[in-house]
Amino acid sequence: MWQVYFKELTELLRDKKTLIFVILLPILIFPVLFGIVGLVMATTTSKAMEEQHRYVIVNEQQAPEFAEALFYHKNFKKVETALTSEQELIAAIRNEEFDVALVIPADFASRKAAVQQTEWQLIYNRSSQLDFMYNYFDEMLKTYTEELQRDTLSQLGVDPTNLTAILKPVELTRVNTAEQRENIGESMGAILAYALVLLCLSGAMYPAVDMGAGEKERGTLETLLICPVSRTAIVLGKFLTVLTTALMTALITVVSLGVWGAIISAFADLSKVSEALASITVIDLMLMFSLLLPTAAIFAALLLAISIYARTFKEAQNYMSPLTILVIVPLMIAMAPGMELDVTTALIPLTNIALAIKELLKGTADYGLLALIFASTTALAAALIAFCVHWFQQEKVLFR
Amino acid sequence: MIEIKGLAKAFAISKGNKLSDTEKQDVRYSEKSFHSVRDVSFQCGAGEVLGLLGPNGAGKTTTLRMLSTALKQDSGSVFINDIDVLQKPIQARKEIGFLSADTGLYGKLTAFENVAYFARLHGMKETAIKSRIDELFSMLDMHNFANRRVDTMSTGMKQKTAIARAVVHSPKVVILDEPTTGLDIMTVQTVLDFIKSLKAQGTPVIFSTHHLDEIGALCDRVVVIDKGLSSFSGSLEEFKQLTPDGDLRQAFLAVIANQPQQGAA
Repeated sequence: MWQVYFKELTELLRDKKTLIFVILLPILIFPVLFGIVGLVMATTTSKAMEEQHRYVIVNEQQAPEFAEALFYHKNFKKVETALTSEQELIAAIRNEEFDVALVIPADFASRKAAVQQTEWQLIYNRSSQLDFMYNYFDEMLKTYTEELQRDTLSQLGVDPTNLTAILKPVELTRVNTAEQRENIGESMGAILAYALVLLCLSGAMYPAVDMGAGEKERGTLETLLICPVSRTAIVLGKFLTVLTTALMTALITVVSLGVWGAIISAFADLSKVSEALASITVIDLMLMFSLLLPTAAIFAALLLAISIYARTFKEAQNYMSPLTILVIVPLMIAMAPGMELDVTTALIPLTNIALAIKELLKGTADYGLLALIFASTTALAAALIAFCVHWFQQEKVLFR
Repeated sequence: MIEIKGLAKAFAISKGNKLSDTEKQDVRYSEKSFHSVRDVSFQCGAGEVLGLLGPNGAGKTTTLRMLSTALKQDSGSVFINDIDVLQKPIQARKEIGFLSADTGLYGKLTAFENVAYFARLHGMKETAIKSRIDELFSMLDMHNFANRRVDTMSTGMKQKTAIARAVVHSPKVVILDEPTTGLDIMTVQTVLDFIKSLKAQGTPVIFSTHHLDEIGALCDRVVVIDKGLSSFSGSLEEFKQLTPDGDLRQAFLAVIANQPQQGAA
């Protein structure tokens, strides 16, 4: 078995595809992912924030203070127009004559004086993802309406010292009982578990294809089968190799995440994140690894069984593609809001692992449930390994 | 000594596969299975070279796969030096050296690593492996590419490596499945010289081929397999005597055209 294992490992380490999928991809995935997402977000946000919007204001004499505030806002540039109807304004915006139109009712001043509510209309194209323009209007309108409220209440004889309490009788202050680690674990945990489990799968996929269908296609399997070694030893040697690469992928990913996290923390002010991550103990990490171990074993056994059945490399890859979707679904379930780890979810394969990793990151894991997950996942892995060994003994599978 | 008696092997036909009209006429096909080998018997003694002939799809490779323990026969028996391959496959494999047309080598390993890997799988010790490989590499003139990866080798180099791999454990019998197919003249000569050296050492050799000149040059015995049956089994001389002028091609065609014939065993 170990002869097969070391030989397979040697071959894999000399294979460029393995080096890319098992080592290079996990090392580079996070910085590249964070880098690209960060760059795109920063560029888009910066562009959106600095953009100057051309506006028209209808009946501005009805609210001169607001019109003045808008005129001096750095993100707005006034455009003169004689258009007043909604259809005309919409058409002009579509023709890109200006970006936004604010329509103040012609009777706003008199309605304001009579303490009556009015409706202003903001016409613009809302297709943009980053709707900063609306936020600017909203902020200005809040300030403006607050001033109007104060004026009105003062005119009604209300004591100025009571104005704040009247305008906002209740101020809600949030006191969060969750530790920083719990917050970060809740937001990061599910995504990390998702990445780890999927990387275990991707790390196992190529070696599994190569060691089963690849051997068949190259004609080396037959030579191997007539060596004085039991088929159980051969398939277990192959299984251990696939398992090793799957775990290596996950481990390299975690280390990469840690290293790049530290680098980013050193350059950015992320002390709270650093503190939260530092509170994750070695035992927590070992528990995560011990949960990933049977998970990777499940993938290794399943993928190897598929690969052994396939006649060619391509056929194996075709069989394996739907498996990725089957893996993603339970992981997505774990990411759904409100999904918690309990006795029921602890028995759902992969969902349980993702939830457990999240709990471990949060520091709120129930060790009894972790034991249940480990036992159920190990039992499933053992059953699949047994199936894989049985499968490898079948002539109809090996010589299809 | 290799003894085969009444060997038979059938493969299930997938449910989706419908038989063609030609297949329906073929006696080897039934509704649910394809009887690749129906009744094959022959034997090959020490120092004998047995040539296995037959049209494509006749059942030669399946027969050799059963001989080499890769496949289990449905009925009949195979004894390698009195070891029943069905009962003791692991023990039988220690006696067998097997070489196929597609070399069965690992592309990312060097010639040395390939041969050493199979030596280890045969349970050889590291010191014995090194000396045996040195001996084989000298015999096959392989030292100049011993540390070269197989996927960068020429066909001839690969075949030499495959030969070294097949005999690294000093097998008692050697089986070769179309070992000269697709090779250039120089490499074919290397393979034929290798078979001659095995014969000189008293090793029984069974090899399947489509080249009748190789049969004439090397074989003591000839077996013709057609439609899963051993249609002829006898000495080379008996095979030649099937036609008046001793032409091997005519003899082969005569066996295929006629009912099964048996030479004096």
